[in-house]
Amino acid sequence: MKESYVNLINIRRQVFAKIAKMAYDGTDLSELEKSSFEILPGEVALYRDSIFRERAIVDERLRLTLGLDVRKPTDYHRVTDGISEADVDETQFIEPLVNVISFACEACPTKAFNVTDNCRKCLAHPCTNVCPVNAVSIGKDRAIIDQDKCIKCGRCKETCPYSAIVKYERPCAAACGVNAIESDYLGRAQINTDRCVSCGNCIIQCPYGAISDKSQIYQLVKALKNNNHIYAIIAPSFLGQFGPLATPVQIFEGIKQLGFRDVVEVSLGADITTLREAKEFLERVPEKNPYMGTSCCNSWTIMVKKLFPDQYEYISDSASPMVETAKYIKNKDPEAKIAFIGPCISKKLEALREDVKDYVHFVITYEELMGMFVAKGIELSEIEVSKEIQDASTLGRGYAIAGGVAEAVKNTALRIDPSREINVEGASTLHECVKLMRLAKAGKKNGYLLEGMACAGGCIGGPGTIASLNRVRKAVTEFKNQSEYETPFDNDTIDEKLRSK
Amino acid sequence: MKVKVCVGSSCTLLGSMGILDQIDDLKDIISEDADNYNDEELEVEAIKCLGFCKETAEKVAPVVVIDDEIMFNATSQTVMEKIVNKMRK
Repeated sequence: MKESYVNLINIRRQVFAKIAKMAYDGTDLSELEKSSFEILPGEVALYRDSIFRERAIVDERLRLTLGLDVRKPTDYHRVTDGISEADVDETQFIEPLVNVISFACEACPTKAFNVTDNCRKCLAHPCTNVCPVNAVSIGKDRAIIDQDKCIKCGRCKETCPYSAIVKYERPCAAACGVNAIESDYLGRAQINTDRCVSCGNCIIQCPYGAISDKSQIYQLVKALKNNNHIYAIIAPSFLGQFGPLATPVQIFEGIKQLGFRDVVEVSLGADITTLREAKEFLERVPEKNPYMGTSCCNSWTIMVKKLFPDQYEYISDSASPMVETAKYIKNKDPEAKIAFIGPCISKKLEALREDVKDYVHFVITYEELMGMFVAKGIELSEIEVSKEIQDASTLGRGYAIAGGVAEAVKNTALRIDPSREINVEGASTLHECVKLMRLAKAGKKNGYLLEGMACAGGCIGGPGTIASLNRVRKAVTEFKNQSEYETPFDNDTIDEKLRSK
Repeated sequence: MKVKVCVGSSCTLLGSMGILDQIDDLKDIISEDADNYNDEELEVEAIKCLGFCKETAEKVAPVVVIDDEIMFNATSQTVMEKIVNKMRK
């Protein structure tokens, strides 16, 4: 969640802690009716025009956190409608993942260029002169842009000597790299599910907190109470997420105290994915396939599937690090149920895929995990434990940062075949990913290894993170350097056959 | 001046790392305009849970301590304002 949206962080995460606490305490879910009142007591509105509207919005957040759909304001529903479906110990997940809470949306106007008070109606008025559709004229007080004519090219903004013209954009739509944000009949944001790739960037950018994903923490906690074969696998970006005093091993131990049997780094799976993708690249590119796209970012692969279906076959077939890590555990303990903990909400969808659902049973974010720590009263920095975590190589641990996946695959491929020349290009926002795929489709990236990541900065910029990009980048780099293994070949946890060159 | 920011579980959940980041940024603002601030060193420490949140049902997180003054429900703007007021000449 965007760190400067403090009020939204407050509301969103209190809901996570609340639902996790209800699950741990075994509170009857009919108590849900009171929860929004407990989170927002009193009669004075803190965030919006009315405390009642605030509570109504929190009610929807509570429902989404339980994995339920948002209610339609036009139909009569109690907040508790459907809870019997949610009151189980396995993921009860119904798409869509990303939901607009329609009555929390303030119907921001769509993209426009506006003239501000800075305008002095100057003699030169270059704004009128550069407009390609003659949409700018000089009015009585200032320049006027004819919004019906304007094609939003922004030339007037660039040329104004007084910085008098500003670009206005809906934050959700600006954040969306695939143009999936549309408007309903009241001008409120509405998600086109045919285009949405569930990256979650609109969730973190909406300044009204009107968009939210569904969670599985309630069902996960219930499962933890009933089953002692539940394992946590934690993504490479976990470093530094839970406060600067919590060490990696304290985080692992804290997760175990939540009821998990064991914790494994997903960077282990990243090592396996790296080996597979390196071999796949050497075998297929350029003879069989013109280029190869990485497969670890689920929103990137969904984007290619939805917007560039004829290119989808060039995305690597190798399973993602999440899946490889889960398979590793499942192999050792066939009874295992596995929960992925990461920065990503798109993984919640990946886990539902036919070929994944038997391996990954729950997906939660760092924010949601932090809610569980608070609900259980766990103070990570006070846990006494002295152990080392050595599940993965330096390269595997680098997957979290944009560029890290391609670096690992390239480095590994070159160790197998040093004679090859491998070109690499990466994109780390969805906008950039789409641009990159346009070039690839046009044949301009032949022979390349393309790394696609939907979030700015890579997974460390994911929607479910707690700590800022810089903080996590530093912590990840430090942890990378603590690995005993330089490359996946050195990682003796991995099957020898796969490690053979 | 000593600023302690609690990074226990509740405080971290409700944004104490954001406060730490903002104070770091404030250090830059101060050093860019050093003439207008006194020479006192701004010492920032992330500290373990002080236990306030566990002793009361009231909402107190995030907790920040500036010298000996305890701030409950701290926000980066109130924390930074206090620091600036103490340090500005």
